[in-house]
Amino acid sequence: MSSAMDMQNFNIINDPITSEPKIIARDVNVFYGASQALKSINLDIGANEVTSLIGPSGCGKSTFLRCLNRMNDVIENCMVEGRINLDGIDIYNSGLDPVLLRARVGMVFQKPNPFPKSIYDNVAYGPKLHGTVSNKDELDERVEKSLRRAGLWDEVKDRLDKPGTGLSGGQQQRLCIARAIAINPEVILMDEPCSALDPIATAKIEELIDELRKRFTIVIVTHSMQQAARVSQKTAFFHMGEVVEVGETDKLFTSPQDDRTQGYITGRFG
Amino acid sequence: MEQLALFFALLFLTVLGFILGKGRAVALSGQSDQPLHSRLPYYGLYTAIWCGLPSLLIMAGWMIFEPQIAEILVKSQLKEANQSLSADQLSLYINDVINLASGGILSREPDESILEAAESYHLFKQISYFAMAVVAISVSLVTLFGSLRKISPTLRARNKVEKVISVIMMISSLIAILTTLGIVLSLIFETLRFFEKVPFFDFIFGTHWSPQTALRSDQVGGSGSFGAIPLFAGTMLITFICMVIAIPVGLMSAIYMSEYAGKNFRAFAKPVLEILAGIPTVVYGFFAALTVAPFFRNTGTMLGLDVSSESALAAGAVMGIMIIPFISSLSDDVMNSVPQSLRDASYAMGATKSETITKVIIPAALPGIVGAILLAMSRAIGETMIVVMAAGLAANLTANPLEAVTTVTVQIVTLLVGDQEFDSAKTLAAFALGLLLFVVTLSMNVVALKVVRKYREKYD
Ligand SMILES: Nc1ncnc2c1ncn2[C@@H]1O[C@H](COP(=O)(O)OP(=O)(O)OP(=O)(O)O)[C@@H](O)[C@H]1O
Ligand SMILES: [Mg+2]
Repeated sequence: MSSAMDMQNFNIINDPITSEPKIIARDVNVFYGASQALKSINLDIGANEVTSLIGPSGCGKSTFLRCLNRMNDVIENCMVEGRINLDGIDIYNSGLDPVLLRARVGMVFQKPNPFPKSIYDNVAYGPKLHGTVSNKDELDERVEKSLRRAGLWDEVKDRLDKPGTGLSGGQQQRLCIARAIAINPEVILMDEPCSALDPIATAKIEELIDELRKRFTIVIVTHSMQQAARVSQKTAFFHMGEVVEVGETDKLFTSPQDDRTQGYITGRFG
Repeated sequence: MEQLALFFALLFLTVLGFILGKGRAVALSGQSDQPLHSRLPYYGLYTAIWCGLPSLLIMAGWMIFEPQIAEILVKSQLKEANQSLSADQLSLYINDVINLASGGILSREPDESILEAAESYHLFKQISYFAMAVVAISVSLVTLFGSLRKISPTLRARNKVEKVISVIMMISSLIAILTTLGIVLSLIFETLRFFEKVPFFDFIFGTHWSPQTALRSDQVGGSGSFGAIPLFAGTMLITFICMVIAIPVGLMSAIYMSEYAGKNFRAFAKPVLEILAGIPTVVYGFFAALTVAPFFRNTGTMLGLDVSSESALAAGAVMGIMIIPFISSLSDDVMNSVPQSLRDASYAMGATKSETITKVIIPAALPGIVGAILLAMSRAIGETMIVVMAAGLAANLTANPLEAVTTVTVQIVTLLVGDQEFDSAKTLAAFALGLLLFVVTLSMNVVALKVVRKYREKYD
């Protein structure tokens, strides 16, 4: 099935959604046991742009993000319904191996979680795993390139064999980003990547996100409206498991259509 | 059993002290508008401690020193009556007196002086008990009322109670430490005495073990040779067999339980596995001696192998089974404490479950696993019952698991079983072996704990 056909089938959203979505989510419901965390989510994620997900705590942003690389599979009682297409291929129902999916859709977590290995081995983990490099030289090159792209190379090039857990929080988070981009994913999911960091480290990561946008499609969950406004082109506002409003970031923040969005971004609740 | 009655009386006073102290605090809090310093129960505890602790200590001290004082009294009385007694006879007489006084039966007809002494000993006992009761109870009452009077809203009852409790806890921990120290010191002293009789290097590097020495000069016995090498070789052989079985099985079950098994299965399987560790080793011992050893022997015969009926293999295999839960349970714990975020990171990189386990979880948990293995190993080295029952006594220096070997622990047991003369080299050798064993297992434990602790620091 070609992606064009697929998109025709689903093109019901008339909002200013990008012309070529990388990911299309239709009618996605997620249940944790009996309780429903996401209700009939429809959302398009544009290629090579940054989409930010905002909303009050517990509204299902992380849950939605984890749907996109099937990390919800790891959670025991979690059930996902509906369709999510990546480049026109249904990632849940087409027999796509989640392992291969995750190689294409990378993820950066809220808390930096480097492996207790050396900095080098942290970045080399993915390429070694997927056999995408054939020899040590290529691997070295890949590690250096990833660290450079993550803006960490200059800080760690002299201590690649030191443990990644010995870096500062901001460096660790950039190491995790380097680790994620080392396998050349198409999409990078970030779940509040700056919430454990100070303003300077945050600024570095935001810069980095802007840089990465050229190559990757990025979805970022954030609690900071300013951050969403700074880094993203599209913003989706989640509320109680639903997408209330989605649109161009500028428009959503300056003239929100929905009262709940208005309330949230002006700080009346959430 | 009069002492027991006194003890309960003091206990009763203590409880009374608690009730009175608390009652007084309640009354105080009703009267004055100044708030009490501590919560009510602390005032109760405060009086209870004042009322119970000193009197109980007096009672304990009394009971420790009374027999000695009584003995001195009896001794002086006997000496007066009969000047010609030697020290040995005197102690014999004192025994008679005490036996007689407590209504025991004597081996011979008591003479006049003994009867007299017994009489006065009995009297002393009674007076002493009476005095102890009076002193203890009056001390208890005095302290009870004294402390009751001290209760006031400003009394820092909680701080005082906590202080006493912390001192009691400190003493408790000292008991354990001092006991260990005492054991180690006695081991060291006896070992030094052993090395006066047998040269150190003959013991450490000797390859021949046959500890039979003549007990009395009229006996014919071997000259005795105390080379510890065969014993340690036997211990190592059995430990090796044990670990060959326990490490793979234990690790795999740990991996299964922490990573693959469902919650329900784990909740059921983990305690069951730990029951294995709770089976008395003597049960493993006869399992080894009566079931496993004959099985190996018969299988060996069928295959045309010469298996000794007390083979190292049987003892090691059963010990391995016993050790499994030590490894699996500890390793399971350390693997479980590898943070979920690391697993998530690995899965999010597109790793499969088995890749995550081998590349992330096991390396992260490795120090803990090594610690678990070392702990299990020191346990195996010190294990006694199974090898006593299943490993045999012959001190063969061999690496063949089908032959009988003996271990350090087995030899310690056999050295000390039966008639002993305390300062013969044979008996003292047990202490030397014990010390050596202790040093080996202690250093393994220290290393293991270091390794485990280092691992803990990483994630906390
Ligand atoms: N593993 C889980 N098991 C059961 N319920 C869960 C689980 N994870 C999340 N939930 C529930 O699903 C709902 C959405 O959670 P989610 O983590 O997606 O919220 P969120 O928008 O990311 O919140 P936050 O901003 O606080 O991170 C919440 O009500 C939460 O309690
Ligand atoms: Mg979240």
